[in-house]
Amino acid sequence: MSGMRSYYLSRMLVAVGFGVLFFLGGASWWQAALVGGAAIAWFLWAPRSGRYRVAPELGVTALRRDERSQGINDTAGRNAFVVLMLATGAAAVYAGLSGLSQVPVRALDWLLILGVLVYFGSDFWLRRQA
Amino acid sequence: MPLKNHVREARQAAQLTQEALAMKVGVTRQSIIAIEQGKYGPSVKLALELAAALGVRVEDLFELEARPERGTR
Repeated sequence: MSGMRSYYLSRMLVAVGFGVLFFLGGASWWQAALVGGAAIAWFLWAPRSGRYRVAPELGVTALRRDERSQGINDTAGRNAFVVLMLATGAAAVYAGLSGLSQVPVRALDWLLILGVLVYFGSDFWLRRQA
Repeated sequence: MPLKNHVREARQAAQLTQEALAMKVGVTRQSIIAIEQGKYGPSVKLALELAAALGVRVEDLFELEARPERGTR
């Protein structure tokens, strides 16, 4: 894929940045390297994935969503938001019924993971359907 | 009413690959596949761009498919 040098260079810097951030955030060096490596793999795969319109002339912003991809992204985001809000409400009600004064902070981790799973699940399903 | 299209026929008549048509109108190949399979109804803008790229009128490319009328009881 010619003409994509600035895209790849910028994404390598971003991937290294991710790794450094994780390391500075308390992760071990191999965890940070794993995150950086996963980010590099994603950025290498993205132009070939068919999820984006590739426009090398745009340099670092060479990957663009077309209208179908944007619609899928919007719907997946909306699904994740609605599920996250409903789950947060349910957690608050459950905490209240259980005699807790507030929702445990640890529960928020699981709620966020649920939101992420709903987003990617919706994205995957919608791409197969539409 | 369902949207029926003749994008595949028009593309083949214009001797374009899905990839080439996608490049011409600025979308992904997956979008062209979805349109040809009738899974995705494009916006008016994209429909007009497809028609222009394929050298046909938009009404020759897309049409509303009439549903069979329901029987009355």
